[in-house]
Amino acid sequence: MPLELGDTSATLTGVVTVDEVEPFAAWLRGTAKPRVNLRKCNHLHTGAFQAMMRFRPKISAAPADSFLAGLVLPLLEGSSGAPIRQESDPS
Amino acid sequence: MNALLAQFLAEAADLLTQIDEGLLELERTPGDPELINDVFRAAHTLKGSSGLFDFPELTRLTHAAEDLLDAVRAGELPLDSGMTDDVLAAFDLIRGWLAHVTGSESLPPSAAADAAVLITRLRTPIGGEAAPEPTTVEPGRVPAWLAYVDEEWLAATAAWLRTTSSQMRFVRYVPDSGCFFRGEDPLHLIRQVPALAHLDVIEPIEWPADHDEYACLIGFVFAARAGAGEIGYLFRYVGDQIEVADLDGDAIQRYLSGETGEALKVAAPASGDDPDLVTEARAVLAAALHALTTNPTGSAHLISVANAITNAAHVLGDPVEIREPDVVTLTATVTRLLGDTPPPEEPEGPGSVDDGGQVGSRILKVDQAKVDHLMELAGELNVAKNSLPFLARAAEEEFGSRDLAQRIRDQHAGLHRIAEDLRAAVMDIRMLPLSVAFARLPRMIRDLGRRLGKDVELVVTGDDTMADKDVIEALADPLMHLVRNSLDHGVEPPGERRAAGKPATARITLDAIADGDAVLVDFADDGRGVDPARVRRTAYDKGLIGAVESRSLSDADALDLIFRPGFSTAEEISDLSGRGVGMDAVRAGVEKLGGTVTLRSEPGGGTSIRLRLPLSMAVTQVMVVSVGGQRFGIPVDLVAESVRVPAGEIGRVLHQDVVVLRGEVIPVVDLARVLEMPCRPDAAADRAIVIAGVAGQRVGLLVEQFHREVDVLLKPMEGLLAYADEFSGTALLGDGLVLLVLNLKEVLGLAARVG
Amino acid sequence: MTETQPKVLVVDDAATVRAYHSTLLTEAGFRVVQAANGLEAVETALTTPFDLFVVDVNMPKMNGYTFVETLRSDTVGTPAPVVMISTEDRPGDADRAYAAGANLYLVKPVPPERLVRIARLLTADRVAAR
Repeated sequence: MPLELGDTSATLTGVVTVDEVEPFAAWLRGTAKPRVNLRKCNHLHTGAFQAMMRFRPKISAAPADSFLAGLVLPLLEGSSGAPIRQESDPS
Repeated sequence: MNALLAQFLAEAADLLTQIDEGLLELERTPGDPELINDVFRAAHTLKGSSGLFDFPELTRLTHAAEDLLDAVRAGELPLDSGMTDDVLAAFDLIRGWLAHVTGSESLPPSAAADAAVLITRLRTPIGGEAAPEPTTVEPGRVPAWLAYVDEEWLAATAAWLRTTSSQMRFVRYVPDSGCFFRGEDPLHLIRQVPALAHLDVIEPIEWPADHDEYACLIGFVFAARAGAGEIGYLFRYVGDQIEVADLDGDAIQRYLSGETGEALKVAAPASGDDPDLVTEARAVLAAALHALTTNPTGSAHLISVANAITNAAHVLGDPVEIREPDVVTLTATVTRLLGDTPPPEEPEGPGSVDDGGQVGSRILKVDQAKVDHLMELAGELNVAKNSLPFLARAAEEEFGSRDLAQRIRDQHAGLHRIAEDLRAAVMDIRMLPLSVAFARLPRMIRDLGRRLGKDVELVVTGDDTMADKDVIEALADPLMHLVRNSLDHGVEPPGERRAAGKPATARITLDAIADGDAVLVDFADDGRGVDPARVRRTAYDKGLIGAVESRSLSDADALDLIFRPGFSTAEEISDLSGRGVGMDAVRAGVEKLGGTVTLRSEPGGGTSIRLRLPLSMAVTQVMVVSVGGQRFGIPVDLVAESVRVPAGEIGRVLHQDVVVLRGEVIPVVDLARVLEMPCRPDAAADRAIVIAGVAGQRVGLLVEQFHREVDVLLKPMEGLLAYADEFSGTALLGDGLVLLVLNLKEVLGLAARVG
Repeated sequence: MTETQPKVLVVDDAATVRAYHSTLLTEAGFRVVQAANGLEAVETALTTPFDLFVVDVNMPKMNGYTFVETLRSDTVGTPAPVVMISTEDRPGDADRAYAAGANLYLVKPVPPERLVRIARLLTADRVAAR
């Protein structure tokens, strides 16, 4: 079971797929101060990552996976992902 | 509809025609590199323009066709007829979509499914679904999206890249919002990028309140030392969603210190070798020269011109310094710069800079509705002008001023000349070459020929003959019927042709020539021809003629039977021409234009059909007559003469009134009776009779009084009268009255029924 | 947003065209301000200096020619480059544009990369001067 949802904390295990996105996002939306444990998470589906960017849960345990730990975690822990040098959306 | 979309639709129509014509031409001269290039360019332009709008299927389908054409152009594979069919089918589909876009500004719901089938077919010869091309930012330019990258990391990376004199590959990846539904996981893709160095996320500026978890709203910017090929392969299915920029330490450093990538690009030395930029620089110089010819005086204006020249000179690698800008100095500078630098190699396409209109002819594209409106106004002016003779008569008869009447008549003469010239000028605008009416035929002949297994070659001559656009437009359908009929019934299968000692490939010729006020279109095939005996038999079997008539008919008259409604020489009705319309539709269509159709045939040797059409049908000359106190118009080209005969000379033969004129017995139709108008003719008075020629027969029309001939602008019948077939239209007369113009053919039919 | 990015005023009454030109130029690194007609554009130009004007010809309230004449007159008096983009190419339009003070008169459709190239070319001196 890749997704364990508690009262205030969730644990993501293994590969989080698109099937987990909806319940996970709903949990984030409905939880006041959500905490997420990523230690055993091997991959985070983009939808799940997007939900975390939006609701900004506290990461209670960093992932062991090197890609998630090295490149994704800083984004989840960053204060804001807004563009740094530009006000308008350059896309 | 917004102007951009309207522009696109007009442009797309032109391009589709070019593509069609080019492909058909290519079948005749396979492998012609210039033709392939033309078709490819047209497809390429269409794809480019379509990208401005939210028509992804249109862009993708055009792209697939473009890729196939590009492979052909590169000589990688020859264009076979199967591929041609697919490409034609793709652009046919697009043509249908554009019609939908015109109505609803969106593609039809079926677009995605229809496109998918064709895209697969188009891609098969070139090795299946190709990667959508990732956009690559031009070297040296720093993309604006670098702003998403963490600045601290950028600074550290720039320093390191400078030390190692190496580059970093930056990629912006903006997945489309529906990607999760297709099973895509952008982060999973990014995870696989080799030597991934950094990742940043592009978040929406504002998260929508009712955000759907399954819509992907984020994008990524990442940096990697992966090879371009590796990234291209990894992102092969979403290549259109990524943009790649290769940056070295210097570029990043300049970006960090606040210089924009754009400035770097322009400030780069030796920019003179970018041909596009050179073209623009020359355009700017030509524009400056044009501006200088207007003799600008304001200092702001002069300085702006000087600055533009300086910038252009810089690009051309020939920097100039202008201290005190004045018209003379600036003109000399521009002239020198334009003379010193070679012109760009390719001639500029449409939408190019106006250089003062000295090069080539200037063509103005005008909305058809505007020309139609102008035509209408010219017609109304003509009609308004016609009110002056009434006024002159009133001046003379009611006010007794012969002088004033004469002056009005003089004015009328002057106005008449101008109105005529104006009409001629507008008519001239409306003139189109017959090639427009012929345009769809090559394609049709090819497609039909392939379906029927018949080889047909089309030879067109005189397609530059001009005729009014109404005539051209109305000619399209009759011509298509002729082609259908010829391929269905005239042209034999190759085997039969060879057996008859003819070349296996049949030949259809289409020849247009101007003939005074008319244009003749001769359509001929070298097929089996029409057999008069067989026509007689068929017409008899179908009850179109009786046994006596079937024997007494001359061959020429027998051939004419095929234009009768309900006649079809084919034993079985094919799905191509047997749609309940045949040669009768051709004759009806051409006669509606005021033209005629004649057929000649030589059994075994082919059929030739001559269409004779008026050059223009916008203004009709009618003879005004009154019947039962009301005025009606009769088209002048049908009127042979008008005669007055004593009442006693009207005789009666077999329940039909007749008049004998120069030994010829002419039936007389009482228009008052046919039109159910009250009429109490003075028994003693002479009878006024208009002799008209209708369907090759002379007939007299008994009227109350003749009036003058006038030019009118015929408008179709509307409202309650729309179904009154005995009238061909209405026209406004100079005195404000509405004139009903008679459709004599229908009137005579009505007369026969009234008895 | 950095102050070194050249600033463009895009003047067009057609919202789609305006948005389209603005997006193109924004993507190319320009700072873009929009105006829907000449009058609005004059008001904007009086308060803000621009490095480039991209101007439509046919507009309500004040057309492109009048706007450009105003730009070059003492009222505004700016020597910044002006690109006029016309929808219909009628004889004499180019003459009017150049007489009014335009530096380049183009007829739609202008390919996007072309507009960007021209914008960069015409603003090169202004960027370099910073």
